[in-house]
Amino acid sequence: MEDLTHVPKWFVTVAGMPLEFNSETLIMSWIVMGLIIVFGFLASRRAAFVPGPWQCIGEVILDAFEGLVNDALDENNRKYFPLIVTLFLFIWVSNIIGIVPGFSEPTRDLNTPLAYGIMGFFIAHYAGIKAKGFKAYASEYVQPMFFMAPLNIIGELSKVVSISFRLFGNIMGGTIIISVVSHLVYYLVLPPLLNVFFGLFVGTIQAFVYTMLTLVYISVQTK
Amino acid sequence: MVISDDLWVQAAAFVGAGFAVGFGAIGAALGEGYAAGRAGQAISHNPSLSDDIVKTMLIGQAVAESAGIFALVVAMLLVFKDVEGESLLSAFAYLGAGLSMGLAAIGSGVGSGMPAGAACEGVARQPAALSTIRTNMLVGSAVCQTPSVFGMVVAFMLLFIDWADRPFWPTWAALLGAGISTGFSAIGPGLGNGITANEATLGVARQPETSGTLTNTMLIGLTVAQSTVIYGFLVSLILLFIPKPESMAMVAWAAPLSAGICMGLGGIGPGIGEGITAAYAVRRVARDVEQNVLLTRVMLVGQAVSESTGIYSLIVSLLLIFVV
Repeated sequence: MEDLTHVPKWFVTVAGMPLEFNSETLIMSWIVMGLIIVFGFLASRRAAFVPGPWQCIGEVILDAFEGLVNDALDENNRKYFPLIVTLFLFIWVSNIIGIVPGFSEPTRDLNTPLAYGIMGFFIAHYAGIKAKGFKAYASEYVQPMFFMAPLNIIGELSKVVSISFRLFGNIMGGTIIISVVSHLVYYLVLPPLLNVFFGLFVGTIQAFVYTMLTLVYISVQTK
Repeated sequence: MVISDDLWVQAAAFVGAGFAVGFGAIGAALGEGYAAGRAGQAISHNPSLSDDIVKTMLIGQAVAESAGIFALVVAMLLVFKDVEGESLLSAFAYLGAGLSMGLAAIGSGVGSGMPAGAACEGVARQPAALSTIRTNMLVGSAVCQTPSVFGMVVAFMLLFIDWADRPFWPTWAALLGAGISTGFSAIGPGLGNGITANEATLGVARQPETSGTLTNTMLIGLTVAQSTVIYGFLVSLILLFIPKPESMAMVAWAAPLSAGICMGLGGIGPGIGEGITAAYAVRRVARDVEQNVLLTRVMLVGQAVSESTGIYSLIVSLLLIFVV
């Protein structure tokens, strides 16, 4: 039980500054990145009119998101399409990698979802300023009245909190349930079912939700 | 008669277990009963499909039950907890764990039952779309479980982290406040999510070919409606992991406790309100899928306004924790 709150760390001192790295999160993130790069290589290596199995999987994922992005963003903002798909792939693989014994989800560490939440926040606001111009962008904060400005700003900031804590809480909760219930039933019968539900099913839904919300935030800012 | 600390901790663990499974049972039982009731109604409309309807009902009830099972797991851990040599602080941690898990299971249990009932009705109406309806129901009711998962995470943190090195005053109030914050604030979003998922499942039954768009709109609506339980979770984490200096002053313990109560109760209304907003949006999308983009935008604006009271609660809680 104690390992739930334990975070393995590397301690490095650079120019007198003590730095801490969450080693497990870093290593697992690199593994996830490696897997996605290998997948991308396999899917696009021999692109053919009659697709091979890897190309097929890649096309299915791209097709599914192309429709969603086309609905949500206008012509000028289609450039965010690669970002959205990459975000989904990374978080999805991160969420479901925990079903492999010995591997832990990078998204179980709050730092990972928070980093992508902050990234999405800045991208959405950059896109908003670029699409509408700074004046129109800034004037939205004083709607409907000027004294609502602090509230609007906090409302925007709270989106970062809600998007990242949602992912973190779900993945963390799934991990805790799997480990506690598996322990209670002496690792018989239930663990695979729990892994399918909390690892594959909830992991996929949460990755999709995270991506969709990032897309929606960009879409709301640009229109 | 002097009662030892161990005995108090043991008593608190038992009371916490009672809270967990007692409150938790309310939600799961209500949700399942509701699903069963609508299944019966659906069978009476279309008796030849009773097999499919009963199977759908059982799948839906199994998901609704999981909130109750989380509560049962926490209660079992509390009942069989070895309290030998625990500090008095553990008593409040166990009470908090029970409250957090029990209250959080209420909303999710009732909420997950709603799409299950809608799925039964949908199957009776549109048997050809059976698998699409079931998929939408499963996605909807699985997302409804998120609030109870948050309650469970807080309960486990309270149960398994060793608080003994913190000063008793005012940490006890922070532990109790952490349980109350996530517990109460989970009720609204769980219930609200159920209302939305209910409409989405009915919509899929009405127009199976729009299921992709509908599930999508539903997911956005559901997750935005969950914001307030996430604020409750955030307040709990702050209360648990930012230690306060020892102080027996009234303010020192009243502030963290009220922060928990403030965010907890403040999270109920916005969760339900945003769920209703999303439910209407999803209902209209099912009838006029062309207007999806417009409806989603209006839904998001409405939800943001409805959420503002939840954000007031968050601000007041943070002020209570950091400023007072």
